[in-house]
Amino acid sequence: MKHDDTTIFSSYERNPSLYDEIFDENGNVQKTYETLFDLYGKHSIEDYVNLNSKAKASFFNQGITFQVYNEKKTQEKIFPFDLFPRIIHPEEWDIIERGAIQRSKALNLFLWDIYHEKKIIRQGIIPMELISSSANYLHQMIDVDPPGGIYNHISGTDIIKHNDGAYYVLEDNIRCPSGVSYVISNRTALKRALFGVFNHYQAYSVTNYAENLLDLLESTKPKGVDIPNCVVITPGMYNSAFFEHSYLAKTMGVELVEGRDLFVEKDFVYMKTIHGPEKVDVIYRRIDDQFLDPLEFRADSTLGVPGLFAAYKKGNVTLANAPGTGVADDKAVYTYMPEIIKYYLDEEPILNNVLTYHCSRPDELNYVLENIDKLVIKPVDEAGGYGISIGNRLTKKEIEVVKIQVKENPRKYVAQPIMSLSVHPTYIEDSESFEQRHVDLRTFTILGKDKEFVLKGGLTRVALQKGNLIVNSSQGGGSKDTWVLKK
Amino acid sequence: MLARVANNLFWMGRYIERTEHIARFMNVNYFSSLDAPHELSHSRQFVLRSMMFMVGEHVNEDSEQLNEQNTLYKIGLDSEFPYSVINSIRNARENANSARDLISTELYESINKFYHFVVNYPVDKFVKNGLYDFTVNVTEMTAILRGKIRGTLLHDSVYAIIMMGINIERATQIIRIINTKYNDALLAQGSYGDKFSNSFEWTTLLKCTESYDMMRRFYKKTPTSISTLEFLILNPNCPRSIMNSLNQVHNHIRVLDPSKAYNKNSTAFLVGKVRAEFQYKYIEEIEEDIQSFIENILNNLTKISQKMEKEFFNY
Amino acid sequence: MNLEYSIVYKAENKYETWVNGAHWQFLIIPEENKTQEFVGVDFTNSLDAPIEYSINGFGFRTIRIHTKEKFKTVAFEASFKLIKREVNPFDFEITANIEEGYEKTKTIDFRVDFEQFLRSTPLTSIPSTSEGLFQFDLKQSIFENLQGLNLWIFEQIHFKVGTTDISTPLIKIITHKEGVCQDFTHLFCALARQNGIPCRYVSGYLHQGNGFFGDSQMHAWAEAYIPMVGWVGFDPTNGILANSNHIKVAHGNDYNDCSPLKGVLHTTGENKTIHSIQVSSQQ
Repeated sequence: MKHDDTTIFSSYERNPSLYDEIFDENGNVQKTYETLFDLYGKHSIEDYVNLNSKAKASFFNQGITFQVYNEKKTQEKIFPFDLFPRIIHPEEWDIIERGAIQRSKALNLFLWDIYHEKKIIRQGIIPMELISSSANYLHQMIDVDPPGGIYNHISGTDIIKHNDGAYYVLEDNIRCPSGVSYVISNRTALKRALFGVFNHYQAYSVTNYAENLLDLLESTKPKGVDIPNCVVITPGMYNSAFFEHSYLAKTMGVELVEGRDLFVEKDFVYMKTIHGPEKVDVIYRRIDDQFLDPLEFRADSTLGVPGLFAAYKKGNVTLANAPGTGVADDKAVYTYMPEIIKYYLDEEPILNNVLTYHCSRPDELNYVLENIDKLVIKPVDEAGGYGISIGNRLTKKEIEVVKIQVKENPRKYVAQPIMSLSVHPTYIEDSESFEQRHVDLRTFTILGKDKEFVLKGGLTRVALQKGNLIVNSSQGGGSKDTWVLKK
Repeated sequence: MLARVANNLFWMGRYIERTEHIARFMNVNYFSSLDAPHELSHSRQFVLRSMMFMVGEHVNEDSEQLNEQNTLYKIGLDSEFPYSVINSIRNARENANSARDLISTELYESINKFYHFVVNYPVDKFVKNGLYDFTVNVTEMTAILRGKIRGTLLHDSVYAIIMMGINIERATQIIRIINTKYNDALLAQGSYGDKFSNSFEWTTLLKCTESYDMMRRFYKKTPTSISTLEFLILNPNCPRSIMNSLNQVHNHIRVLDPSKAYNKNSTAFLVGKVRAEFQYKYIEEIEEDIQSFIENILNNLTKISQKMEKEFFNY
Repeated sequence: MNLEYSIVYKAENKYETWVNGAHWQFLIIPEENKTQEFVGVDFTNSLDAPIEYSINGFGFRTIRIHTKEKFKTVAFEASFKLIKREVNPFDFEITANIEEGYEKTKTIDFRVDFEQFLRSTPLTSIPSTSEGLFQFDLKQSIFENLQGLNLWIFEQIHFKVGTTDISTPLIKIITHKEGVCQDFTHLFCALARQNGIPCRYVSGYLHQGNGFFGDSQMHAWAEAYIPMVGWVGFDPTNGILANSNHIKVAHGNDYNDCSPLKGVLHTTGENKTIHSIQVSSQQ
């Protein structure tokens, strides 16, 4: 069906150079989306304006908001939510799911290794600098055996669909990945607004995340504990992810604690309840390593618990994720993921890594120097997007400057092809119409000793600014409900 | 339950209840004064001072002329004034936020909607002609909250703590209202030949506590000082009476502390003791020295609150 | 010959305003190792708060105290008894296999094994303007070079109290050429690591009977790892090798891993800490 047959998409402009997930190059609707397209087409744009504002009010009233601090007052905002869902076909999902599990497992084995024998470095597969130059490598974790051998209990994998139609991983988040609560509230919101469409598709439910998380947390209980007391620790209600922390605690039926609710005595952790101290066995922590324990890490941390790390190291309490996991989500480690997967699992990567050229290797360096305009140049040791040069946005002069920098210190740089994120029809409030916007997908993986679980859904993040590739909520990104279809 | 979160729940209950009493007091006093039978009760300054007295600001009648819009704004929507309606609901919501994992989504959503209603209420409208609309909405929304608390929470210790907060605050606010209206009745007597015991202010007092109709049904007579005070302080079946609040506090503390053992330092012991004292009071002896009675009951309520803090909320 | 030491550690904190509750962690208990036999500890505090013993992230014993009381001053006193075995710092062959030693430090296994003590930290970074400040002479053994470094620092830097603090960066030490034992030790660690030798910061007590430098606070020195020999202690503040006057408490990458007292408390206004340490021995 041609998309200009219906009113709602009549002003939809397709940029042929972008990979559109619902329209093929001829403007025909992909098979998976046909029914949805018909159903949405029956609505007028006025219906949409109305539904959209209702959905927004629903998020607002539920308090699914974050605070924005201005000079004068704090404002509450909702994460923008798009009513047009993203559909993932079961065959594609199968690849994503197996790929996410594969990466989680490989990263876990990698973490075990670099905190124990460090074989992968001794055998020259990855360079020593990956740990020796990492600020996130915790020497306190050397030779510590976390319960069940699990470090990254919870991982968030950021995946994009490139214009070749294949999925690529952009990032593995294994510190405190957030966003899972939005997967669930997005589904709830879409069900409230457009319940009719669910009759035509068999999508997996997303509400089973919390029970799987609790199941995992209980399975990591310290030795000698029969029924473990699990808690979620949050930096507090002013944290932007507080809604998620309280949501997870509520749905798991466990206490949501702050650092000040806990104390350590004789290397055991207790929480202060109305009836006195109660021992805590497993902590799902949503605070970063450096803030966990002011006696061990940052002394100025008011979020943590004095003595917590000693209790952890003694095996009296479990922390999920384990301290020190941050070292494995460094950008430099990412570039070695194919090698890491191969080394520990003896498997080929299921999900593509973005091809990475290491400037430390002479032949790759030559390629990079000759093709800077087609590449993104990244320093390996800097986080937060600093020092990144995007080749096709540089002037000739700037390219020369980058060339000199890379030649001077080739070990410091890697280069990647410029990736193009797929686009998806997204309702834009300002123009009251559907437009193409870039999207990515964050999946949530739970890994236990005898457990592998990927939430069948994930968070589709959408860059609301036209042409913008940055989907992060901190940059004004929104999100979409994501349906994984049953086979 | 975490001690800190219990404290949040307790104060959530208190602030929800406080919001209602302040709003209703503004509403009833303002609107019943409009056609009050004599001049002083009818006087706008008198009514505004009465409102300020109720929220703890004693305005000397000679020294200061109150501006109506400013006064309404201050008690209703002024974020700088700690006792304002807007601050009470804001505090209720802050406390609910911290305990969000323990309360139902339905209750949280209602508190949140309530908060946004108050925060977004146009100041201009409120001080000019929105007083009735605003206060009626506030009192109705608190009624919804009470319904959600009773209807969507487990009746366990979480519920008990919220209800303790609500009832301790209710007793406190009822006493403050009695104090204010007793004071008004004293001021209004004499110069207009109105007898204290038959003052118009008793009717206002009963309306301020939503107890007028039931009081008439019970006594079948025009309210007097004695019958009004007896109804609002001692009648255990009047849902707004001090006695009823104490009975409820007593029931709920038993959920938190079911022990039967003798412990003179426990909150449960103190609650039981205060309640027992009240059970055998009669109104004539209270009226003899109402001021020290009011001080005494406020004192006792503060002590119960402090004891709870020490026993349950210590973190 | 064995020495029996008794060490008294005292600390007193005074705060301008009231403090409501606090946590402290002391890293002051002498380490148990092949030259140190720990006999006993006695710890008291003026608040009578309960005392707990634990182990920190790097495996050293700590003393922890937590109080909920309100206070303005607090005093701690710890006394330790231990037996120190006489050590001969030159108890190995110095010049054998010079080349083999250097070769070994270049192997991947060696660099992986000692990664922690080869990395520089903010406190042990040599500014780029001072690169090549001390270069090893590869004709001499690692040990001889380290000894040379030890003496070089001892001669270059003057011991002076009060001009530096625990967070003074090396650039200042190198420029002003003065500091205390922490600064001497940070410089030693930095230069040894720059020459490829694993080196760790050691905190402990110094028996000052023989007029050594140091003050009435905790002392600091360095331990460098020499292939085929092991960890050897150097005290650049005094230009000597660590010996039986040096009683080790803990080691780490720099001072931050070894700070003897960490406190977690909230107070406004000024506060003052007075430490004193007495080391006495009987043979």
